Amino acid sequence: MIERSRPPALWAVKWVVGSLVVVLLSARWGQFRAEARRAQAFGAPANLSQAARTALSVAAARAAANGAWALGSVDSVKDASKFELDQLPPQGTGSPADTARRVQLLLRFGIVDTNPDGQAAIFGQVCMTDPQVCEHLKDAAERETRTRLVAPGNHLPLYFVPGHVHVPSM
Amino acid sequence: MREPPAPARPVRPSRRPAVVAVYVAAAGLGYLVGGRGLPPFRPAPSGAALAGARVGWVFSQPDPQAPAQAWAELAGDVATVREAWPAPLRKLFDLMTAVRGLKSGGQPDWAQAEQLCRALKWSRCDRASLEQLRVRGRP
Repeated sequence: MIERSRPPALWAVKWVVGSLVVVLLSARWGQFRAEARRAQAFGAPANLSQAARTALSVAAARAAANGAWALGSVDSVKDASKFELDQLPPQGTGSPADTARRVQLLLRFGIVDTNPDGQAAIFGQVCMTDPQVCEHLKDAAERETRTRLVAPGNHLPLYFVPGHVHVPSM
Repeated sequence: MREPPAPARPVRPSRRPAVVAVYVAAAGLGYLVGGRGLPPFRPAPSGAALAGARVGWVFSQPDPQAPAQAWAELAGDVATVREAWPAPLRKLFDLMTAVRGLKSGGQPDWAQAEQLCRALKWSRCDRASLEQLRVRGRP
């Protein structure tokens, strides 16, 4: 059979470039469809503001910290609390809710700390973060201990026992 | 005098079906690959941020509902978020995803949760405690 010769460029356009263009266009279409489908699921984060997305992205760390506080070991509580603390806005720059959460995490950290000096330093940080909480530190700590289901940390630490003097280091 | 008829041109089999087949295959391949996020037409951080937000949203809901395909796609988001967590906390992350059912269509995976709980050396890993963890492990 006699094969009619075609210019190589035309052959390349037809078989290679054309196919590649079709692959890329279809891939973009596939992505578009997948993104549109996913955008409607799980809170439609693509439609949220940057701030709302950031707040949601901390939620997993917050859930883990709360779970660890409820039932976890001391190591889990400390690791998870520190991880969430690292994700909060720097002290003094966040919202009142961020400050309240920072205080809560520091309180938990202090409650499970077995070193009295470390405990005093952490409660000192609480006082620096929110002086109003500092005035009712024992009450705030007691509220936290009620939400922990396992020892240690489900009772007030010695730091709050009358006669057990500790001056928070500022 | 008549000229003899020119010899018939050899009949070439048409290539049109082959071209169409190749293009259809290319379109199908592209669509499938694109549906999995490849090639990265969008910058990756945006995808990671969305993954974090989606996973966070699921954690924040008491009983999130979604189609089965959305749950299957969420597994990719869970893996993305997990990679961003420090290594010592990944077991805890896995435990939280197991009790919230993030990788099992919203249904808790109690068996895996118990294994992870014991691996973390937590003092209470019975079913009742893990159910408490499911309730309290919310943002």
